[in-house]
Parts: sequence; C-alpha cells; structure tokens
Amino acid sequence: MKRGRDQSLIKKRRKMRLLVFPAVVLVIYGILFVIMPDKASAALRSSGKVFTNILMPLCLVFIFMFVLNLFFKSASITKFLGRGAGIKTIILSAAAGIISIGPIYAWYPMLKALREKGAGNSFIAIFLGNRAVKPFLLPMMISFFGWIYVLILTIFTIIGSIVVGYCVDILVKEDVTTQADSL
Amino acid sequence: MRVCIPTEEPGLEARVGTRLGSSRYLMVVDIDTMAVEAVPGGSGQGGGGIQAVVLAISKKVDAVLTGYCSPTAEKYLSANSIEVITGISGTVAEVIEQYKRGELQTHIEVKRKSESRWSKIDRVNLLHELRESSNQFFTLLPMLAGVVLLIGLFNAFVSKEFISSIFSGNSMLDTLWGACLGSIFAGNPINSYIIGGELLEYGVSLLAVTAFIISWVSVGLVQLPAEISALGIRFALVRNAASFVLSIVISFTSVIVLNCIRGLSL
Repeated sequence: MKRGRDQSLIKKRRKMRLLVFPAVVLVIYGILFVIMPDKASAALRSSGKVFTNILMPLCLVFIFMFVLNLFFKSASITKFLGRGAGIKTIILSAAAGIISIGPIYAWYPMLKALREKGAGNSFIAIFLGNRAVKPFLLPMMISFFGWIYVLILTIFTIIGSIVVGYCVDILVKEDVTTQADSL
Repeated sequence: MRVCIPTEEPGLEARVGTRLGSSRYLMVVDIDTMAVEAVPGGSGQGGGGIQAVVLAISKKVDAVLTGYCSPTAEKYLSANSIEVITGISGTVAEVIEQYKRGELQTHIEVKRKSESRWSKIDRVNLLHELRESSNQFFTLLPMLAGVVLLIGLFNAFVSKEFISSIFSGNSMLDTLWGACLGSIFAGNPINSYIIGGELLEYGVSLLAVTAFIISWVSVGLVQLPAEISALGIRFALVRNAASFVLSIVISFTSVIVLNCIRGLSL
C-alpha cells in the first residue's frame, strides 16, 4: 500500500517537474508583455508559426505511438537484452532500444537489474545508443530534414551504437572484474 | 426437428465428416422420428460448400453438425436461421444423442463465451493502449510547448549575427559546438528536431545540427549522475565519451553520404 502511494507521489512529482519549464517560459512571456509588448507578440507569432509547422507531424507521431504500443511491448523485448552473444543479441538489444519509450531515468533501474542478471555492458550501451532512433518520431524528423537524411542518419546511428557497444565492452571489462572482486 | 450431418458413408453408424463441402453424403435426420435421408453431397472439387448449403436450406434443416464449416457457408446458413455447430466428431447416432441431450449447444456456448471474452480482452487492450499512448503523448506536450514558446523568444531577440558569431562556419568547430550543446541539453528527441530545424533556418551547418541531434539523446551530462549510480562510473564515462566522439563522426559521415547522394541525383 505504502509502496503504491510512494510510486504515485513520485509520478505526481515528475509530472509537476515537467510543468516547471513551460511555466517559467510563460512567466517570461508575461513579463515581456508588460515591458516589451511588441517584441512579445512577435515572439508569440513566431512560436505560432513553428507550432503550425509541427501540428501535422505531431498527429502522425500520436498514431505511430499508438500502433507501436499495440504491437510491441518494450518490457517483453528487454527479456532478450544481452542474453547470450552474437548478432542475434545485438539485433535484439538494438530493437529494444528503438522501441523503448519514456524518459531515460525510467530505464536505468531496469538496465541495472538486467546487468545484475548477467546482461553484457556492450548490449546495454547498444540499447542506450539506439534510443536515438525513434520510429514514432520519424514523421516529425522527416518533416524537418527530409527522408533521405533521416534514413542515412538512422542507419549510421544504429551502426554507431554498435561501435559504442564494442568500445564499452573493451574498456569497461576491468571495471566489472573490480566490482566482482570487491563483492 | 431436422439436422444435417456430412458423412463419408450413408447410415447412422457412419462417422461425421470433417468438412461440410467435401463429404460424400449429407445425412438429413429427423431427430424426433429418427427418419434418415442420405443425400449425395459435394464432389470435393470446389463449390461443394455452396451445394451443401443449398441442400441444407432446401431440406429445411434446423441445424448443421459438422467437423468444419467455412466462414462463407456458415454465414449463408446462419442467414437462413440454420444453427451451425462445428468441431463435431463421432458417429451420426452418437452426435444426434449428444445434440438431443443439449451437450453440443453447451459446448458451443462455452466456445462462444470464451470467444466473447477474447474480443472483450482485445477491446480492453485497445482502450488500454490508447490511454497509454495518450498519456505518453500528453507528457510530451508541456515540454514541447515550452520549447516552441522559447524558440519564439529566441527568434524575436536573437539575431542571425549572434548565431553566426558562435557557429563561425568552420566545419570542425561548428560540429564540436553542436555536439557540446546537444550533450548539455537532454529530453525528448522531438525537441532536438525542432531546435535543429530552427538552427538550420539561421544558417547553421547541417554538420553541427546533426551532431546536436545525435548527442541530444546519446550523451547526457544532466543525467550522468543517474547513469553512474545505476551502471557504474566507468561504464557511464566510457559510454558518454564514446557517444560524444561518435556523434561527431556520424554527423560527418552522414552529411558526406547525403551530399554524395544529392550529387548523384543532380
């Protein structure tokens, strides 16, 4: 019971924290409307223009999000994260990173638990690197940068994440051994 | 009350056929008088299902008991108020006894109930995912609105000259700057696209913007303490450093490849 209440409190606090930034911006607008009304309305018009540009891709983002949620379960794919070795695990770790949704701090406890269960460092790094590839945000990205650029960047990001995974694998081995020794 | 049962042989001791359309006989049985009529069924060379449906309707049966019935045949039979019970096995006599005792209806009702439970689960699942997606989407919005409003302020107050004083046009330096900026800020990638798009409008090079977008997600100075506490200091430092270097390498390779493709298409 207590744990549930704590969880809902944490969630509420996170939601409140999300509102801090836009609230600060709104306060700045409020002050500007008093001291520089011309500049403030120009800023608001400019924001309106940006918002109209992103409105359509934003609707697509919601549809993509819904479809991905329906067909992929992030929690179930992380079951395969870092199990065994080889190309299959690399692909699974990358796929888990791609379909993972939500802020990064929400994933740290799960990644920690996975590593304690024996998931490799490289696969966790691959997972984190692939969080940059977000299928549901593709409409937004394409509307800003064009599909060829998005395609190239996506491919290189996935390759790059594997390179980072490899680097981490080589350089962090020692750290794990030290940790294991200290236990 | 009359029922129709597909079989391979005539008679009450014949076994129920697996398919309505391809069985050699259709046994029409009056379950009150046990009068049996063996009617030659479909040939099994196509169209047998429809023949069987026509036969069942013309013989004025109330139910069809069979191993399998195609959805189309079932639709026509149901439209003519003929009950269709599938998944039946055994001899004609046994099946009729079961039907009389009402066991087959119970079996079907259980099946229907489980089916409706599944469709209910599907509907519940759909609603759940819709709610989940809405939640995810609406948690994006406050930050997004803040960023859009901030860009408005940025556009109103920051001049192109100021931006060009930071991003001087030197490819390497600009990319480094982009990567640094992206590493400091964090959050949903959607915000990095909007800011990146605006930077392009200001004439900042695609190299710098690409490094900014990549490092925004892959390098996180703000969340570094959280990463260290969860995955260890060495892991966090090596991963972030490697990702920072890679963000610069990736932006160079991506833009070179993009320019090559554009050059080829011209």
